[in-house]
Amino acid sequence: MASMRTILILAAILLLLVAVPPFLGIAWQNALVNVLIASLFALAFNLLIGQAGLLSFGHAAYFGIGAFAALHLMIAVEDGFDFPTPLLPVAGAAAGLLVGIVAGYFATMRSGVYFALVTLAIAELFHSLAPHLQGVFGGESGVSSMRMPWQGIVFGSIIEVYYLTLGWVLICGLALWTYTRTPFGRLTLALRDNEQRVRFLGYDAHAAKVIVFAISAMFSGVAGALLAISNETANYSLFATDVSAQVVLQTFVGGSTVFFGPVVGAAAFTLFSFLVSDLTRSWVFYQGLIFVLVMLFAPTGIGGVVQFHARHRRQLDRSRLAGPYALALLGGLLIAGGVVYLTETVAVLFGQGYAVRMRDAVDGLPNYDLFGISWNPVSILTWLLPLVLVAVGGVILVRARRSIAGFWDRVGRSDGPVETKAAAPGGPA
Amino acid sequence: MKRIATTTIAAAGALVAAASAGHAEPLKIGIIESLSGSQTSTGRLYATAVEYGVDKINEAGGFNGEPVQVTEYDNAGGAPEAADKFRQAVADGVDIIFQGASSAIAGQLTEDVRKHNIRNPGKEVMFINLGGEAMELTGEKCQFYHFRFTTTAPMRVNALVNAMKEAGDLGTKAYAINQNYSWGQDVQAAVEAAAGEGGYEVVDEVLHDVNKIQDFAPFVARIKAAAPDTVFTGNWSNDLLLLMKAAGDAGLDVTFATAFLDQPGNIANAGKTALGHYIANNYDNAASESDAFPQAYKQATGHVPIFVEGHSAFALAQLQQALGTLDLGGGDIDVTKIALALEDTTYETPVGPVTVRKEDHQTIRPVVVSKVVENAKYPADDTDMGFETVKIVPAEEAIYPVQESCDMQRPEE
Repeated sequence: MASMRTILILAAILLLLVAVPPFLGIAWQNALVNVLIASLFALAFNLLIGQAGLLSFGHAAYFGIGAFAALHLMIAVEDGFDFPTPLLPVAGAAAGLLVGIVAGYFATMRSGVYFALVTLAIAELFHSLAPHLQGVFGGESGVSSMRMPWQGIVFGSIIEVYYLTLGWVLICGLALWTYTRTPFGRLTLALRDNEQRVRFLGYDAHAAKVIVFAISAMFSGVAGALLAISNETANYSLFATDVSAQVVLQTFVGGSTVFFGPVVGAAAFTLFSFLVSDLTRSWVFYQGLIFVLVMLFAPTGIGGVVQFHARHRRQLDRSRLAGPYALALLGGLLIAGGVVYLTETVAVLFGQGYAVRMRDAVDGLPNYDLFGISWNPVSILTWLLPLVLVAVGGVILVRARRSIAGFWDRVGRSDGPVETKAAAPGGPA
Repeated sequence: MKRIATTTIAAAGALVAAASAGHAEPLKIGIIESLSGSQTSTGRLYATAVEYGVDKINEAGGFNGEPVQVTEYDNAGGAPEAADKFRQAVADGVDIIFQGASSAIAGQLTEDVRKHNIRNPGKEVMFINLGGEAMELTGEKCQFYHFRFTTTAPMRVNALVNAMKEAGDLGTKAYAINQNYSWGQDVQAAVEAAAGEGGYEVVDEVLHDVNKIQDFAPFVARIKAAAPDTVFTGNWSNDLLLLMKAAGDAGLDVTFATAFLDQPGNIANAGKTALGHYIANNYDNAASESDAFPQAYKQATGHVPIFVEGHSAFALAQLQQALGTLDLGGGDIDVTKIALALEDTTYETPVGPVTVRKEDHQTIRPVVVSKVVENAKYPADDTDMGFETVKIVPAEEAIYPVQESCDMQRPEE
């Protein structure tokens, strides 16, 4: 049962989501719109992997279909069709549901790797077919439309789009959460745990899986429609594998075993790309690194780690844990600092700007600027610094991990908040 | 309802404008380019060329009494990401956006710019498209604040036909093999359309999947069966490379007429197979007697301009010339005035003049047709091979008529 505490936390988050954005710049408002859309998409995706145990590698198909359906409805509205702008995502839901039923019928005939491959193939089918159907998908430069005013709301500014998105994401999130509480939601879990038993109990497992798949596709379609409303355009690249891959990464980093885990992952990744992508060209590398570290050391994801602590909060001796945790954080930060330093140095030294300066330099290798300091590439100090950072960080981390593992052993939980050979949650970000 | 809202937005915009008057406002340029992902190598070249051009403007004193500011935004090769970066750029106060590495992203950006300008009168943003060659950008999607500073399929194909015919390399039988999406279809249509003028017959044509084919042998066999003299292809990246290699392996004796043979790495990868093949593009270093521009570019960036860098740098130089005719008196940046000035500017590139066609904002520009030779003046990819100019097709011969689908709304003057 949801405790009073959980309800309070959710209410506080809701209040922040409603009250804060008007005071933010449009860049932040836009980033939050993306966070919300990614969250809904990840939640819808997690219905399959987290609840039903089906790993789909082609959810871009339903996301994209939702976007195009909403856009075509928007175009109709622009041409005079009377339809309230805030209800546009209904088109995405309907399209996602329809395509989801058909695709799900075929995909769920198999499970495991074969299921993943079929979903991947279906998404690729859309991806390769879309550029040829110029009338529907608009060819290379895509379909475009404009949000029309409704009942005095112009939908011209990003903040209006934000509230529209927030409303839809909250309703859909609530619907998905309620779903997990229904008998059919329980049956979904049973499908994951033991499909054969479900069949022996007299249920039609295939039909049930098609329904779960279609519901997941429907909510993905809503997310796609929200993106279409926000961007007012869509092109066939929405069907690309990286869209499918992104939602998988977000869900796993966030934690697929916890209901709100995917939201954490989606928010983390979206904000990471918003904040870091213009600071460094290596941001995709860091993103990959974070994914690998989370998978290696905290396979239940960020959400899983948080949930573990929440579950054992009565056994937690905060005063004894705070020290080792702070130490682990320090170690992690030192290692992160060393890795970031090395990555950025390599990027600078092999970059074009440095090549020019190297040519112009009179003697030897010229210094380069990083983090506001000038470094000499042939000085030992330049290379010693990251090594020292990583080494010291490593030693601290190993020690901290040992005492954290010891603590959880004493509590009687040998599995620990993270894998016992754990690094601190959060890699070099 | 909409009108009231628009007026409110306009009034709010005017207030902001009034509040900020009195300070010289710097011109802000945003590069929304593919700086991570599979198109990075091309995106990087566009960004380098734009930054080179901005440096030139600032060396000459900037604009409006301030140095021009330039910011890079990474669109990661995707249209939705580009839409995000556009909003980021608007939040940063960017006035002019540059992009080139993909027509899909150009399509996204031109629409974003159009909508932004409808909603924010007085705070317009303009988009200079350096490489999106899809016809619809100056057709159905044409708009006043979009300028295309590159060629399109008909310009490249017409120039190839013109120059190859003169050089006696065209023959009478042509074959078209292209990627099955808007660009490849545009090239195929242009090859068909130029048949009468070029005096050739299109013996066969093929559209194939984009960058998915690993073995072009079946296609080469089909080309061989048709026995053409010239094979026209708009293919780029792997599709061009593998096609040429397969043709070389099969001992096919044809001349390839291409659009992207100068993409970095192509000549080195194709090796001797590439010799004798043609390319039509915006600019080539060997096309001009003077080596002033390549040397100046090398001085600043470490390498002579390759692939898309030359024409992108010229687009900035043309903008610089247009800015030179404007005096905003240290006041606010008026993008509409800059756009109008750019329309009236003729820039002399080393290969000939470039002007903007007012009806659709396609630039009327010369097209350079070159052929791969050994011991070239400017070797490509550290080989001894490179491009030798066959003909510079003058702007007025290369241009095609304005597309009927273009219905441009001009700002009220």
